[in-house]
Amino acid sequence: MPDGSYAHPQQRQFNPYTENGGTILAIAGADFTVIAGDTRQSEGYSIQTRYAPKVFRLTDRAVLAVNGFAADGNMFVKKVKQRLEWYRHAHAKDMPLRAIARLIQTMLYAQRFFPYYVYNILGGIEEDGSGAVYSFDPVGSYEREACRAAGAAQSLVQPFLDNQIYFKNQQLPPGQTRPLHLSLSDVLSIVIDSFTSATERHIEVGDGLEIYVVLAKGRGPQGLEAVRGAQELTTNAEGDRVFIVRRELKKD
Amino acid sequence: MFLTRSEYDRGVNTFSPEGRLFQVEYAIEAIKLGSTTVGVSTTEGVVLGVEKRVQSPLLESSSIEKIMEIDKHLGCAMSGLIADARTMIDHARVTSQNHAFTYDERIKVESVTQAVCDLALRFGESVHDEEAMMSRPFGVALLIAGVDEKGPQLFHTDPSGTFVRYDAKAVGSGSEAAQSELQDKWHKQMTLKEANILTLRVLKQVMEEKLDHHNVQLAQVTADKGFEILDEVRLKALIDDM
Amino acid sequence: MDHFPTSWGRPRTEAYDAYNTFPLHQRPNPGHKDAFAEGVQRTQQPIVTGTSVLGILYKDGIMLVADTLASYGSLARFKSIQRLHPVGSSTVIGASGDMSDFQYLQTLLEELIIEEFAEADKHELGPAEIHEYLSRIMYGRRSKMNPLWNSLLVAGKKDGKRFLAYVDLLGTTYSASTIATGYGAYIALPLLRTAVEGKEDTLTEEEARKILEDAMRVLFYRDARSLDKYQIAIVNDEGVTISEPKKIETEWGFAEGIRGYGAQIQ
Repeated sequence: MPDGSYAHPQQRQFNPYTENGGTILAIAGADFTVIAGDTRQSEGYSIQTRYAPKVFRLTDRAVLAVNGFAADGNMFVKKVKQRLEWYRHAHAKDMPLRAIARLIQTMLYAQRFFPYYVYNILGGIEEDGSGAVYSFDPVGSYEREACRAAGAAQSLVQPFLDNQIYFKNQQLPPGQTRPLHLSLSDVLSIVIDSFTSATERHIEVGDGLEIYVVLAKGRGPQGLEAVRGAQELTTNAEGDRVFIVRRELKKD
Repeated sequence: MFLTRSEYDRGVNTFSPEGRLFQVEYAIEAIKLGSTTVGVSTTEGVVLGVEKRVQSPLLESSSIEKIMEIDKHLGCAMSGLIADARTMIDHARVTSQNHAFTYDERIKVESVTQAVCDLALRFGESVHDEEAMMSRPFGVALLIAGVDEKGPQLFHTDPSGTFVRYDAKAVGSGSEAAQSELQDKWHKQMTLKEANILTLRVLKQVMEEKLDHHNVQLAQVTADKGFEILDEVRLKALIDDM
Repeated sequence: MDHFPTSWGRPRTEAYDAYNTFPLHQRPNPGHKDAFAEGVQRTQQPIVTGTSVLGILYKDGIMLVADTLASYGSLARFKSIQRLHPVGSSTVIGASGDMSDFQYLQTLLEELIIEEFAEADKHELGPAEIHEYLSRIMYGRRSKMNPLWNSLLVAGKKDGKRFLAYVDLLGTTYSASTIATGYGAYIALPLLRTAVEGKEDTLTEEEARKILEDAMRVLFYRDARSLDKYQIAIVNDEGVTISEPKKIETEWGFAEGIRGYGAQIQ
């Protein structure tokens, strides 16, 4: 006010959030799921580190990718893992994928008025052996989908996935009424292409790429044995199996 | 000064020198005064049966409630102090709904049984800052029946908080005779109908009154239809087939 | 009845729900007060502040450097404040940001180390544990909207493993072979990365020291809240050593002949 008085009380407030960049994505196949994320962590224009994982193995059939505010993300993953451990003690089994999805909703919504500023993508194998992807918003709205990208380069990657996975703006082959599931090798190519492209056009994406592959119980390696550097993380060989593949991304 | 046995059954959470909790043991005794309750598990589902003691011709027998639903896939029959069971079943229902809310799946029969048993030993004096729970142990035994991913199951709980899984189990006043009869007649390939008939026959053997559709109640839990209390028509048909 | 097992009070048996398996994890707390009920005074801004801390990995361990200035706004208020602090026998932390919050953290860590020592089991907290502890404290305080206004580096070497990581007032954490806080992240970090990345296992102590001293010189030239007096902390197999304060060798003469510096004369 010109007279020096204040029309409204002024308050400067501490902002408890920041954005740490990066991108995650997941694609479900008929009997596998691929979940991936880059490893760059940034704040503003500064790269804080070239290796900060955003994708985490939860069980032999569930992998969680977390993007947004890194401190919230790490805390959230820690709490989800704790709940999975408690569930295992209480019910003598690993939590099924759809139960993890619902648990993540209740955990996110519990913080409705001070949210975890994170976008979650959960991927893995359902009880019926099908590949599944669940995506969440920061306060817990969720749905099961065939594919999803989130994070800094969501707007670059999701349209590409819509085209390649859902066949949007593509002519279906004659006699085919809906898009079919792709093979694992095709999906891996799409994932790697998504990230190299996002790295080119988005400053917050790059450095490294971590790709998790979850295979349904009893299914063959589906060409994964030919993938360079694929490493198995499975704890119980009888059930679904988890693998990790690492790739370099441009660091500029 | 040496305390005699009778002095150890005063405190509800005082061990006797032999290492026994008399109040809990008495509570288990109390169940043997209750009406007979039978549970039979088969691969098709689980059957629960209770005797309703109709003490007066003026009593409305349908108001005696000894089999209750916990959730769509879970049922429960009781023997002993029925009022005590209400607290436990209320807790079981909430636990089951909570599980479904949080995990989008049906709770396992064993998990809900465990949750009920967690209540059993929460009696005694309350310590500073705590709300008093119960003054004495529960005086009721439950037969919890349900179907989950492991198939149909039957659990028995007692006032000590112990729970055990059974193929077939009888509790209450006629339980000794009933249990040995179950041991004789139960077999792995039993159908649900055979289990219903066995339940009725076992109840009939141990009941003082003549068994009819007023003084027994049957319920079953199956994978398809979940928990259901058999209505008069189905009960009568089974009694006729006996 | 109350169905939340967490509000049932002290369990009668140890065996009961040791893992707190029930979904509603927050214990209803009757004594809880609204955080905003009374006008609580909180750190809404740092007051007496320290500037950048730099850290790099080298062959035998980790090296941290920080100057000794604690500023009061633009006033160089305290010129001999130590911002590098040893924790236990294998860890050192360096702090920028609010110095009173840093001193509070020092007392917390002192308590932690004493408690651990009192266990008398010969177990010691290493740099990874100290960093995890600090990140819990920092994240916990930011979640109460009452942050400890610092950016911290945690460095150490334990069981032959080098450790260098960052945590700040938001609870953000990360690890890298070169880290800098404050203006150092803009001015010194590019120099450090060029000098260190890929050479973490070959750089000698002397080379590492030279890299940090050069970076500190650049910072002193460009960061108005810095001082030409600094300390270096080294953690190697021998443990933690923090040097006495040293002067940065500077050269001011050359600027006068360069156009664009000082008073302009055609």
